[in-house]
Amino acid sequence: MTTSSPRPVTTTPTSRGSRGRGLEALRERHSGIPALIGKRLLQIPFVLLVVSILIYWLVEIVPGDPGRNALGPYATDEQVLLWNQQHGFVGSVLERYIHWLGGFVTGSWGESIIYGEPASDLILGRLGNSLLLGAYAFVLLVPAAIALGAVQAYWEARRPDRVITITLMSLAAIPEFVIGVILLIVFAVVLAVLPVHAAGDVGDNPLLRLRAMTLPAITLALGYLAVLARMVRTGAIESITAQYHRTAVLKGLTTGEVVRRHVVRNALIPTVSLLGIYLGTLLGGSAVVETLFGYPGLGALIVTATEKKDIVLLEAGVMVTGLVALLALLLTDLLFLVIDPRVRFEEAK
Amino acid sequence: MTTLAHPSAVADPRAVVAPPSSWRRVLVALLRRPTFTASVVIVLFWIVVAIGWRLFGVDPFADTGVRIAPPSAEHLLGTDRIGRDVLARLLAGAEPALQIGPAGTLVATALGSVLGLVAGFFRGWVDTILMRVFDVFLALPTLIFLLVIVGAFGTSTLVLAVAVGLLFAPGIARIIRSATLVEMGKQYVASARMQGESRLRIIVLELVPNILPTIIVQATLSLGSAIFIASSLSFLGLAAAAPSPDWGLAINENRVYLQGAPWTVLAPAIAIMSLVVAVNLIADNVKEVTRR
Repeated sequence: MTTSSPRPVTTTPTSRGSRGRGLEALRERHSGIPALIGKRLLQIPFVLLVVSILIYWLVEIVPGDPGRNALGPYATDEQVLLWNQQHGFVGSVLERYIHWLGGFVTGSWGESIIYGEPASDLILGRLGNSLLLGAYAFVLLVPAAIALGAVQAYWEARRPDRVITITLMSLAAIPEFVIGVILLIVFAVVLAVLPVHAAGDVGDNPLLRLRAMTLPAITLALGYLAVLARMVRTGAIESITAQYHRTAVLKGLTTGEVVRRHVVRNALIPTVSLLGIYLGTLLGGSAVVETLFGYPGLGALIVTATEKKDIVLLEAGVMVTGLVALLALLLTDLLFLVIDPRVRFEEAK
Repeated sequence: MTTLAHPSAVADPRAVVAPPSSWRRVLVALLRRPTFTASVVIVLFWIVVAIGWRLFGVDPFADTGVRIAPPSAEHLLGTDRIGRDVLARLLAGAEPALQIGPAGTLVATALGSVLGLVAGFFRGWVDTILMRVFDVFLALPTLIFLLVIVGAFGTSTLVLAVAVGLLFAPGIARIIRSATLVEMGKQYVASARMQGESRLRIIVLELVPNILPTIIVQATLSLGSAIFIASSLSFLGLAAAAPSPDWGLAINENRVYLQGAPWTVLAPAIAIMSLVVAVNLIADNVKEVTRR
C-alpha cells in the first residue's frame, strides 16, 4: 500500500513553553480550530477538482467513442451521433468537461452506459452497501486491534508480543483475496457454518444478512489489523514509559484511573490518525473483497465500469469514493481536536 | 608552509558511509538470519520457475482429459474445470507474477528517487509544488487510481508497470526527500558547494551515494506491496486475460468451483502467499540490518 502521509502531528512538547497554559492558551485554542477545519474544507473540493480533471483527460484517451461503446457495433453512425448529442458527448474537451462538471455539481450525473440507468441511483445504492460492509468491518477491527495492541504492550518484547507481531505482519502481507479464499474454504466449505456468497438468497432478514456479510467483513478487517494493532502497541508503550504516567501513579491514582485518564487517551492518538485514513478506504469499498464474495458494493461497480469502459459511471464512482475518503480525513481531524489537546494549541501558532 | 589537504579528500563521504566492508557486513548479518535465508530460497525458487518453466516439460494449456480430478500421483495438484493440470499452471503462473510487480518497483524507485532528490535539493517552490502533487496522489484510493489508468490505457504489462510505478513513487519520494534534507545539512555538501561543484555533480556524486542505502530499503519494501497490488489487479481481471495461468486470475476463475474443487483455488493462493510473504520478510530483514 501507499505510505499515506500522517496527519499533522507537529507536536514538539519541549518548544511549547509556558505559552500553552492559562487564558492565553484558551484564546489560541478557539482561533486554532476553525483554521484547521477551514484548511481541510478548502482542500477537499480542490483535490476533487484536480482528480476530476485528471480523469476527464484520461477518458479522452480511451480508444473508441462513448456512443459506439454504448450502442454496440451494429448501430448506424447517425444513431451514435444522436446518442452522443443526447448525453453531452459533443464539442471540445473543455466544453464537455464543463457540461459534465455542471451536471455533477447539480446532481445529474448522467446515465450509465452499460446499465442504462441514472448513475446517481446505481452509485448511491451501492455506496449504501459498501458503507454497511465497511462499518461492520470497522466494528470488528477496532476492538480487535486495541485488544491485541494492549496485550502486546503488556508483554512487550516477550513471547506473546513477538508471536502476535509475526502473525499479524504475515497476515498483512497476504492479498485480501487469498485470505478470503482460505476463510471461505475453512468456514464455508469444510465447516459449512457461513454462506459462500455475501448477497445470496437471504431475503430481508437482517440477521441472516449480517451472517452472510461476516466473512467479507473479517477479510476486509484483517488487511488493516496488523498496522493498527502496531500503532496501539507503540502508543501504549510510549505512554506507559512517559513521565506523566509515573506522576499519575505517584500521586496515588488507582490503576483504573491511570489507564483511563492517561494511558488510553495518549495511546489512542497515533491510532486515531491511522483510523481516519483507513476509514476512508474501508468505506469507499474494497473492490477485491466485494468481487470475491459477490457483494454488490461500490468498489465492484467501479471495476465493472472500468472493464466495460462506462465513462459516466466510472467518473461519478471515483468522485464519490474520493469524497468519502476525504470526508473521513476531515472527521479524523475533528476527532483529533477532541482527543489531543496539543493539536489545539499547536495549530493556533 | 604546510599544504592543506584538499577538502574533498578529508571529507569524502563515500569512504565514510558505505565502504565495501560495510556492505559485506550487512550481507553477513543478513545471511545469519534464518527468516532471510529461507525467504531468499523461496524467492529464488519462484524466479527460476518463472524463467525456466518451459524447460520442465509442463503444458499449462493442454487438456489432460480428466476434469476436476483431485490431487493424485499423476496430477500432483489435481486438474481444473477444463482438465488442465493445476501444477503446470502453477509453475507457468510464476512468470506473470514476477513481471508487473518488479518492473513497477523499478519505475517507482527511479521516479521516486529523482523527485525526492529534486524536492530535497532545491527546496522552495519546487518542493512545495511536488509535495502538493504527492498529497493529491496519496489521497486517492490505491485501486481507484489503477482502475482509472487501466480504463484509459488498457492492460498491457508496460501500462501496468508504469501505473504501479506511479502509485508507489510519491511514497518513496517523500522518504528520499527527507533523507536528502538530512544530508543537505551536512558539512560535505557545503564544502562541495564552496569548491564550485555543479548542482548535478553534487546530486549524483555526493548525495546519491549517501542516500543509496535508503533507496535500496525503500525499493525492497515497495516490491512486496507491488507484487501484492499486481496480483490483486489480475484477480479483478484487469491484468491478465482468460487462458493465462496467472495466479490471481486462476483464483478468480476457479472460485465458483470452491466447494467441488478447492485445490484449484488453494494452490495459486498458497503460491501468491509464499512469494509475497517471502519478499516482505526479505525487506524487513534488510531494513532491520541496515538500521544499525
